[in-house]
Amino acid sequence: MRKRTLKRGLTGFWWFTLAFLYLPLAVVMLFSFNASNSAARFTGFSWRWYERLLGNEEILSAFANSMVLAIVSSLIALVVGCLIGYGMYRHRHRKLGWLIVLIYLPIVLPDIVFGISEMAFFVQIHRLTGLFQPGLGTMIIAHVTFQIPFVALIVYSRFVGLDPTLFEAAKDLYATPAKRVVHFMLPTIKPALISAFFLSFTLSVDDFVISFFTAGPESATLPIYIWGAIKKGVSPEINAIATLMIGAVAIAAIISLIFSRRRQA
Amino acid sequence: MSYAGVTPTARSRAMVQESRHLLFTVAPGAAWIVIFLVLPSAYLMGVAFMTNGPYGLPEMPLSLASFERLAGFGFLGWSPGNLYTLLRSLWQTLVSTGLVVLVAYPIAYYISTCREKWRPIMLLLVVVPSWTNQVIRTFGWMNLLAPGTPLSGLAEGLGLIPPNMGLYPSNFAVTLGLVYNFLPFMVLPLYAAFEKLDTAQVEAAQDLYASPVRAFWHAVFPQTLPGLLAGIVLVAIPAFGMYVIPELLGGGKGMMLGNLVANQFSGGANWPLGAAGAILMLIATFVGLFAMRRIGKRLGGGEEVVI
Repeated sequence: MRKRTLKRGLTGFWWFTLAFLYLPLAVVMLFSFNASNSAARFTGFSWRWYERLLGNEEILSAFANSMVLAIVSSLIALVVGCLIGYGMYRHRHRKLGWLIVLIYLPIVLPDIVFGISEMAFFVQIHRLTGLFQPGLGTMIIAHVTFQIPFVALIVYSRFVGLDPTLFEAAKDLYATPAKRVVHFMLPTIKPALISAFFLSFTLSVDDFVISFFTAGPESATLPIYIWGAIKKGVSPEINAIATLMIGAVAIAAIISLIFSRRRQA
Repeated sequence: MSYAGVTPTARSRAMVQESRHLLFTVAPGAAWIVIFLVLPSAYLMGVAFMTNGPYGLPEMPLSLASFERLAGFGFLGWSPGNLYTLLRSLWQTLVSTGLVVLVAYPIAYYISTCREKWRPIMLLLVVVPSWTNQVIRTFGWMNLLAPGTPLSGLAEGLGLIPPNMGLYPSNFAVTLGLVYNFLPFMVLPLYAAFEKLDTAQVEAAQDLYASPVRAFWHAVFPQTLPGLLAGIVLVAIPAFGMYVIPELLGGGKGMMLGNLVANQFSGGANWPLGAAGAILMLIATFVGLFAMRRIGKRLGGGEEVVI
């Protein structure tokens, strides 16, 4: 009897929490279709805010920046992170404690400290040498820095899950190192690489704080544009871009999830 | 790999090869993190001990002035502004972490009692909102808490806020935003702990006529403690340095340490002061991680951190 009331109470609490979690997103999505530009009342359905997006050059360039940043940084992080992940596996019997600390550093560092250190560093180097002009380049560097650990850990865990005799079999059959990479390594870790790419991509699109501090005047990403628009005073267009971003990130995340499932299977 | 029966020169050649292999695989990424994260952070720490120059940029000589400013001492004497910000950050971290535990604990338990095929989907439902950009989620709360919305109307009707005011900007809105933001970070490690729960201990406690409360306290709670600690670290550390949520939901009176730090780096403010604030955040981070490791080891489960 008592157990049943507990269970019923928990079920109620579960639905309440779900509502709490989805309410802010639902409001943003709902108001993206609002016919009036009131932020407090829904007056009717319309596509006008989406139509406005197509003509807004600032938003389109922010979108392009976000995409270039996410794709380029994920690709660089994939190569560098994959190498570390494999190195960590091959040499895991050595004392690699320092490497683990190094790899976890970008994950545990508060993002504001992360962003501000990079910004201060880039500004000073720029003053001394003229390199690292704040812009897409510095943002890519910063994003790669926080993506590397995730790629490395995903690739590492894939290698650890493999049967060690597979490596020896590949070697015993006289495959050259290059052939081993092409015919054995890459195909076996492909699912890990794909899920690492999508995770890096999602992390990049999702990041605001680090991008905000490493961006230049011409390199606003979508979150930075949205931030600026909120700060200047709310425009209903933000709801429309935000809705599109919610959709896009959800799709990328689900793809990554599917591949990581397949990786485990 | 075993080198038994191999001549010494071949062995040393193999070792050289191994070292080269290590260099080609691990070194590029390690160097990247050192150059683009370790060096910049070290530079930032140095900045904290320098003097504030004319454009907010750091200058020689070395000084502790920015730490004094952080504690409230300025050229106009002592003022509590910065100290309030520090205390507010601590308080918001404490309250929001506590509330997150109160919500996440029953949710994680509930998920672990549901049918096995539903559990991954339920976890996914909890996590999905956190995939959306933080700025957008916080903007959603701005819409919900603004003046004239049903939630503000309700609070007004209950006499909690003066008429024609919204629930934001306020410290309450910041707490709410923090709880919202960090809930999944607590549910995941707690769920992992509940999933591994040894129910035999609970049955034993019940067989020995323990009341439900005592059975919970002695048989369930200790088993979930590692997950709880992991969750606390995952929530409290980023909450302490939070920037976006207080900036959007807190207004001028809801500032936290993250805002204090960030403001010092924009528009000719004071880099050394900002860097000193960043050092404070780093200290909090490493103390938190260290304490977590120590307590985790004492409990006998050091590998409980879920990232």
